[in-house]
Amino acid sequence: MSGFVGGLIWGLAAGTLIAIAALFGVWWERKVAGRIQMRIGPQTTGPAGILQTIADTLKLILKEDITPDQADVRVFRLAPLVVFVPVAMSFSVIPFAAGFAPLDTSVGMLFFLAVPALSVIGILLGGWSSRNTYATIGAIRAAAQMISYELPRALAVLSLVVLAGSIRPLDVMAAWSPWWIIATAPGFIVYFIASIAEVNRGPFDIPEAESELVAGYFADYSGIRWSIFMMAEYGGMVAASLFGAAVFLGGWNWLPGIGGILVFVALTLALVTAMVWVKWTYPRLRADQLMSFAWKIMTPAAIVQLVVVAVIAPWL
Amino acid sequence: MIAEFSASSIAFWLLSAVSIGSAAVVVFTRDVMRLAISLGVFFLTVAGWYLYFTHAFLAVAQVFLYAGGVLVLVLFAIMFLRRSKAGEPILESRHSTDSVVIAVGLGFLVVMSLRDRVPIALPQQAFPTTTELADILLGPMLPHLAAVSLLLLVACVSVLVVFGGERE
Repeated sequence: MSGFVGGLIWGLAAGTLIAIAALFGVWWERKVAGRIQMRIGPQTTGPAGILQTIADTLKLILKEDITPDQADVRVFRLAPLVVFVPVAMSFSVIPFAAGFAPLDTSVGMLFFLAVPALSVIGILLGGWSSRNTYATIGAIRAAAQMISYELPRALAVLSLVVLAGSIRPLDVMAAWSPWWIIATAPGFIVYFIASIAEVNRGPFDIPEAESELVAGYFADYSGIRWSIFMMAEYGGMVAASLFGAAVFLGGWNWLPGIGGILVFVALTLALVTAMVWVKWTYPRLRADQLMSFAWKIMTPAAIVQLVVVAVIAPWL
Repeated sequence: MIAEFSASSIAFWLLSAVSIGSAAVVVFTRDVMRLAISLGVFFLTVAGWYLYFTHAFLAVAQVFLYAGGVLVLVLFAIMFLRRSKAGEPILESRHSTDSVVIAVGLGFLVVMSLRDRVPIALPQQAFPTTTELADILLGPMLPHLAAVSLLLLVACVSVLVVFGGERE
């Protein structure tokens, strides 16, 4: 039963990590967005406004958990968890340090691509069960978007698999060399953009476009269930940044020991900041622009990247 | 008696119960949305069975293709149907006799064809099936893999041509 207890501990650790990531992510986003808009951002609650998000969390926990009269109650309540759990599971295969990933599996790269994609089921259930037109449209948009961007994202990661000759993340990290950054630069850009779309963040936030759909698939959610959707979004952003910082940018390979971990954290933070920067800089795409961008630019680019890597792999 | 209740046997019985339970819900429930959710649970338990028999690659492929692909397609189709009044299912399964006969027949064929092939006991040692699969697919089965890939590519292009034609 030690495996079960270990899994439980890692599950709790992942849940806590995502909660902290969400708290930090919201605060960081407010600060960065403030600077971009020539404001200061949160500053009165705690030093540099760091307690603002904690105060907001307490507010959300204490708020009434409203279920619409006409909603399909069971499905409505289940949906946030179906969105959150796959995101939490995706943290388990990230190579956090040399020789260490919480779940060291031979199919870790595929696991990271496949499991978070299950969140789309929760989004569809949440949008459908609300029996609200805005929520339904948002859910359909989210599903179409997430399925479309999964393909270029997977193809981009496949370049690394070809280079490493393995789909085990720790093997990829062991085989990693600085030349990969140049060789897989287009693939990394595709991965980064597709990851933003996968977590439904701006400029790919048409499923929850507040100016036309209020909040899309979670328009009718409030209190703790609303915050679970938010935690999944920020958790997904951090997970994608951790994974990208590790397998594409080398993560802890740059320096031995604790220095490597610090570099890994710095790279992750840089990617999170870039995601926030992109959101607050670019205007939201239209639905048709978003789909044609995925199928006409991202997917062909990822395929070309894969072919190039397959050709040059013997020399790297 | 205590030794029999190992983590492996608990996983076996738990997976069995959830698999059969979710499959039964798929067959007997009338609300199509709940049917789809149960189908999703069933797909995930199939992935669980692959993991139980240490075939991690198949488990991830199951999640990728069935839970993340087929199920989303089913949910997508249901969501495009007309709305129903509150408290009523959006669409009800007819539960026709023909479908029961076909389901039972298919189930019988699957059981008969697999009865000697599926090991009931857990393999003694886990092994990396991914390497073996890669060796087979990129070795003797490479022409077959290329043929299937080409077929899928033609199917994709055909869909684009068909929809492009409709738009015009």
